[in-house]
Amino acid sequence: MESQILTLVTFFPLLGIVLMLAIPKNQHDSIKSICLIVSFITMLLSFWMYAMFDPIANGMQFEVDIPWITSLGIHYHMGIDGISLLLIVLTSVLSVLAILSSWISITKAVKGYYISMLLLEVGMIGVFCSLDLFMFYVFWEVMLVPMYFIIGLWGGPRRLYAAIKFVLFTMFGSLLMLVAILYLVFAYQSYSGEYSFDMLKMMELPIAYGPQLYLFGAFALAFAIKVPLFPFHTWLPDAHVQAPTAGSVILAGVLLKMGTYGFVRICLPIFPEATVAYLPYICVLSLIAIIYGALVAMVQKDVKSLVAFSSVSHMGFIMLGIFALNLQGIEGAVLQMINHGVSTGALFLIVGMIYERRHTRLIEEFGGLAKVMPVFATFFMITTLSSIGLPLTNGFVGEFLILLGAFKANTVYGIIAASGVILSACYMLWMYQRVIFGKVTKPENEKLKDVNWREKLILIPLVLIIFWIGVYPKPLLDRIEPAVKQVLTYVSKATTVNIGEGIQIDQARTTDEVEIILGEVDPVKVGSEGMEE
Amino acid sequence: MFHYLALAAILFSIGLFGVLTRRNTIGILMSLELMFNGATINFVTFNKYVVTDALLGQMFAIFVIVVAAAEAAIGLAIVLLIYRNWRCIKTDNYGVMKW
Amino acid sequence: MEFAFPEYNLRLMAPEIFLFLWALLIIAYDVLTKRKSETTAGYLALAGLMITGLILGFTGTGHGFGNMFVSDTAAKFFKIIFLGSAFMAIGSSFGIMREKIVNHRGEFYGLILFSTVGMMFLSSSNELLSLYIGLELTTIPLFVLAAFFKDDKLSVEAGIKYFIVGAFSSALLLYGISFLYGLSGTTDLVQMKINIAITHLTFQNIGVILILAIVLVVAGIGFKLSLPPFHQWVPDVYQGSPTPVAAFLSVGSKAAGLIAFAKIFVNGLFAFHHPDMAPNDWGRLVALLAVAAMILGNTVAIRQTNIKRMLGYSSIAQVGYIMIGIVAMNALGMAAMGFYIFAYMFANMGAFAAVAIVEDKTGSCEISTYSGLARTSPLLSATFAVFLLSLAGIPPLAGFMAKFYIFAAGIQAAQHDPGLYWMYWLVGIALLTTVFAIYYYANIIKQMYFAKEPSPHKVTYNFPALTVLLIGLAGLFVFGIYPEPVLHFASGIASSFGIIP
Repeated sequence: MESQILTLVTFFPLLGIVLMLAIPKNQHDSIKSICLIVSFITMLLSFWMYAMFDPIANGMQFEVDIPWITSLGIHYHMGIDGISLLLIVLTSVLSVLAILSSWISITKAVKGYYISMLLLEVGMIGVFCSLDLFMFYVFWEVMLVPMYFIIGLWGGPRRLYAAIKFVLFTMFGSLLMLVAILYLVFAYQSYSGEYSFDMLKMMELPIAYGPQLYLFGAFALAFAIKVPLFPFHTWLPDAHVQAPTAGSVILAGVLLKMGTYGFVRICLPIFPEATVAYLPYICVLSLIAIIYGALVAMVQKDVKSLVAFSSVSHMGFIMLGIFALNLQGIEGAVLQMINHGVSTGALFLIVGMIYERRHTRLIEEFGGLAKVMPVFATFFMITTLSSIGLPLTNGFVGEFLILLGAFKANTVYGIIAASGVILSACYMLWMYQRVIFGKVTKPENEKLKDVNWREKLILIPLVLIIFWIGVYPKPLLDRIEPAVKQVLTYVSKATTVNIGEGIQIDQARTTDEVEIILGEVDPVKVGSEGMEE
Repeated sequence: MFHYLALAAILFSIGLFGVLTRRNTIGILMSLELMFNGATINFVTFNKYVVTDALLGQMFAIFVIVVAAAEAAIGLAIVLLIYRNWRCIKTDNYGVMKW
Repeated sequence: MEFAFPEYNLRLMAPEIFLFLWALLIIAYDVLTKRKSETTAGYLALAGLMITGLILGFTGTGHGFGNMFVSDTAAKFFKIIFLGSAFMAIGSSFGIMREKIVNHRGEFYGLILFSTVGMMFLSSSNELLSLYIGLELTTIPLFVLAAFFKDDKLSVEAGIKYFIVGAFSSALLLYGISFLYGLSGTTDLVQMKINIAITHLTFQNIGVILILAIVLVVAGIGFKLSLPPFHQWVPDVYQGSPTPVAAFLSVGSKAAGLIAFAKIFVNGLFAFHHPDMAPNDWGRLVALLAVAAMILGNTVAIRQTNIKRMLGYSSIAQVGYIMIGIVAMNALGMAAMGFYIFAYMFANMGAFAAVAIVEDKTGSCEISTYSGLARTSPLLSATFAVFLLSLAGIPPLAGFMAKFYIFAAGIQAAQHDPGLYWMYWLVGIALLTTVFAIYYYANIIKQMYFAKEPSPHKVTYNFPALTVLLIGLAGLFVFGIYPEPVLHFASGIASSFGIIP
């Protein structure tokens, strides 16, 4: 049982799909309950997995390796390290919350909707557990179909356009990735004489510099579209704004992380030299994403598209952290993946809640909600602050580590990124002020009901996570660290040769030191706190 | 040998030209027959001059004649159907679908 | 003079002989019972195909008729595909039997079976004469089938177009074959491989004739395979002919063309594949046609409003993908070709079966008919969506595995042989066009699922058509998730063509 835990967590939602198929489509309540119970059990399983995970051990845990398609050496190979562990837990938690959040708002084709949600969950968890490139690709693609339906069938007015745009963008990138995977496989075959799709074996494969550049480019394009990095981000606002609330939560919370996860899991260890070669370009693109995302978010009239563009900015941070190529940067990036999932997920849920009440998301339609919905305003406040990265919330720990890594790598990058933090404080707080504070200007807003128990049930876990990570991130960092070090040892093959000053691998740093650093006060953060008054 | 091959090529080319330019369906059928005959002559020629000991080419020619006859029968039947539906067998005059 | 009878080995031909007799039996039965029963002839045909499949399973491998007839892995694999596609075509034809074809049910099934027999002969032929006869036996019944609705102008027009194109292409093929015969002095494919190489080495100037022969044969089979620029007939014939016949054309006849192509080129003209043999190499010529097929098929399909025309263009594109496997000319490529057509059978026959069901109900094949169908007929819409997704190559369906294998073969060829570096471009274009393909497949799913109004139609299923849908669905999922057995079987195709893995 314990050795099969990954298989269990990944495919458990399929059980729910089978059960739901057996139920007549007009019995909405039983469909919803089955979906919720199944996803809840999946979440418990993932918690159990978290408990069993050994934080000290190096390498992959709970590995399963069974031959699947032997003629091409494709294996059913699963395994997790700290990075994937946290992302799987995040996925299972967000799935439960997303399903809860759509309890009332989804009224048409209920059965199809919940089937899509569970299918999506299978795909997402599968991506994070796969250690076989073929499986990784299959899960990566499997998610496209349910997401296409979720956006296209239950989305907003321009949903058809958004859905097909999402699919075509992702598909384009992932097909290039497929070619790169195949190239790797045949390169491995001529190197070792056997076919294999194993990621861990690919990390040992020496690849010439020239092909490495192409291969990294193909993988990076697929991942960058998913992240989305600056010039490839245009699908994101459309998809986010048109998707239903739960779709946006999953999209922002988990799907975007698959891109950054891909960079950490595949691009860095398999193509270290190419990573170094591409480093400046990707860093510049992430910086552009940080600043551009923030500036565009500032002028948005729609709360949801504001949050969507803030995602572009935050994902830029994560990319920058990864490509700082040092322990703090990558650790911070991984932690920030979780944080962004939690806080942006929460923001989308909150936006969904006011949308359910008012059927509009325009900022100018609101104002003075603090008087009408005090509890709601409190939740909104906490998530906003966490998104900005206020100390004691989760966002602070992640952003701080990323900035630390960035400063160590390159001071200029660090300064530009830090200014992004200020901008994020600007647009988030300005939006919050316009929506929540002031007088109640619109008569429709006067009778709004405050959050009910179901919505509290959704938001309270997220708020708890926000504070838990903000105050005591050590358990998470402990689990991330061995995995990040592992990645860095692969990258260091190249960095020791090719990189000049500025980027050094700091293997010696322990989590305790990180704890100490966390106690320091960041001057940038003081500025952002000042503005909030 | 060359003369026979040239004759075959000329027959084939006339047939090819006919299929592509004829506007009468019967004309197209006749041109098709010419093309088959060109190929048949080729087979017989090669059998006479290249491979003299076996009769494969001759056999092939006989089979081709049979196939061509079968094809002509089907073709004429379909032309008959066209005539029943449109009262005309010019390719310009029938046809509802764009090519 | 001693004359030794060749060893006939009739038992190898048992499936073909049985199916042929069975077809005669069905026609006779239908006439003798005064054409009263609507369904019996159809069920008889289905039973006959199943029995043939069983016989095929018990037939061993070997040669017969003095090496003219061969039963090997490639032949068996393709025979399964022919039987399967005939089975699914007949299964989806019960609807039109009730309404449109009243007087000739026996002939309809008999002709499909005759055509299947022709395909099976073709896939077993080991030399040009039997190959040509097999090809003709395949297409001549199809001419009749395309024009089967005698009073429907569309169908008759489809018939004459298919006839002219088919006869024309077979004349081209024949002329090409006659040159191959002249160059090699034999019609045996394996012997031809050796003889042409010897002729090529002895006389350095056979180039022109060889090129002429290659071009003619490519054109001749290209018509059957609907490779551009020989594709114009496809959409018209698909649109006009009865839907099950169009389905059979798109899979069975295409697979037949494919095996004929593979037999002549991969086996007979093996030596002339490589660019080192320029300008005699056919690899680059076929690659160009494949590129044209993928680009043209996928872009023109976007504009179509008739679903059968759209599937026609999509089938043009699919052939382009399959051709990558042939051009790669390695063991993986041959297996990929086999697996692709196998997966394609489930998806395309299933899709046409769905089209047939909708057509029986609504009488229309316009894509707009499908608007909102998901709300009134969820099962049909869901299965149809799965078929389309498989055609588009979305995992975990079999269509994805097929594309994956094809791309793998292409990249392997490019990586192992510097002369074939352009295979990267071929695979690249294939990938790019796959994205286009998703657009128009998704468009139909969009019509079915995302329409505001529910459809006024609610389809009714007859038992065989429903079976076809479920077979297609099961096939796509099972062979998408666990393709190993079929891949293992398909990897034997390479050795049938003399390619050592």
